[in-house]
Amino acid sequence: MVLEVTAKDNKGKEYKEVKSYYPIGIDLDGYMRYGAWQIKEMIDLTLQPKTIQKEQVIFEFDKDITSADVAVNVYYYISGKKGDKIYSASKHLSFE
Amino acid sequence: MKKNVFIFVSIIMILIPAMLYAEGAKSIDELVQMYDDSKCKECHPQEYEEWQQSYHAKAVVNSLKGMRNFYAIGVPKEWERKLTKTEVLKCLDCHAPVVNYASEELAVKIAEMIIEAKDTKDENRRAELKKQLNKLNVGCLSCHNIKALSIARGLLGDPEPGTIYTSNMIISPAHKTEPVNTLDKSLFCAQCHGRYVAPDGDQIMCNTLNGSYYNNYVSRGGSETCQDCHMKKANRGHRFPGGHDLEIVKEGIGFEAEIQGVRHTVGKWIPRAIIRVALENKAGHRIPDG
Repeated sequence: MVLEVTAKDNKGKEYKEVKSYYPIGIDLDGYMRYGAWQIKEMIDLTLQPKTIQKEQVIFEFDKDITSADVAVNVYYYISGKKGDKIYSASKHLSFE
Repeated sequence: MKKNVFIFVSIIMILIPAMLYAEGAKSIDELVQMYDDSKCKECHPQEYEEWQQSYHAKAVVNSLKGMRNFYAIGVPKEWERKLTKTEVLKCLDCHAPVVNYASEELAVKIAEMIIEAKDTKDENRRAELKKQLNKLNVGCLSCHNIKALSIARGLLGDPEPGTIYTSNMIISPAHKTEPVNTLDKSLFCAQCHGRYVAPDGDQIMCNTLNGSYYNNYVSRGGSETCQDCHMKKANRGHRFPGGHDLEIVKEGIGFEAEIQGVRHTVGKWIPRAIIRVALENKAGHRIPDG
């Protein structure tokens, strides 16, 4: 699962921060593996049940920027190739 | 003399079917016939239709890549072992439990078909292989017979061929029915949806929902079962939706976002965007699970 936060200021400059949540399967030697038969341990970077994961992102714009469009998107990946947007929020910010 | 011939023929007639059952099915069709799910739809059309939409119905053809890699690379190259029924079942005991009743030769042949279905460049051959392999899946009898008692085999014994084990108390006259209190337990699903321990002790970590459920959900006071969310809620029934279904994915994840603009640093007044996001895992296990 991926949380993607982006912004685009009034001069067209783009900003992006991405946070991923996933389990990493590792083999006996500590290497990341995809094969179920190879995986003997895991590093858990997922969202845990009955908990709220809070994230905070700050974009600092150039001093002469007067506005920016900010978007938050959450994608769920059923596999590494296929991701679906499941949530989004956006806001136009004015600094004038 | 005639009496002796009669006794001999009778013994042969009893022994041959028993030997065949013990040796296991020799073909996929024979195997499927032993645990024929198609009969179920005559009286349970809704459940059958739901199941057809489920990933249980395509548990082999939807997982060809992972199984192909185990059979073509894991067993022969990494472990340097011969492909045997014991190794084949490390995938198929869950992806197609009926393979437990295949002969040694058929089990290995199925694994070879899986490898070929993934590797062949011939589209027609691939389609034919997938058609054959699609007869193998997590069918009605996989849960309602073959695996029905596995979580309490010491207490309940082995499943009886032909008996339908069910978690409700409705006794059908169409077949021998035995209500059991295993099928509605999370542990029942955990047989396959968790770390799999093969009979030889090897541990296969296809997914780890089981550990996450018990260690991070139940331990924090969670009391719902797999069946509560994936079957009972929203009449999901035998579709068993999970990560492939965006409706249940969204149901399991709460989302809040606050986007705020501010002029920061007194005197310099630098424009900033401050974004706060809260993602709540409302499911009974980690999200996502691999």
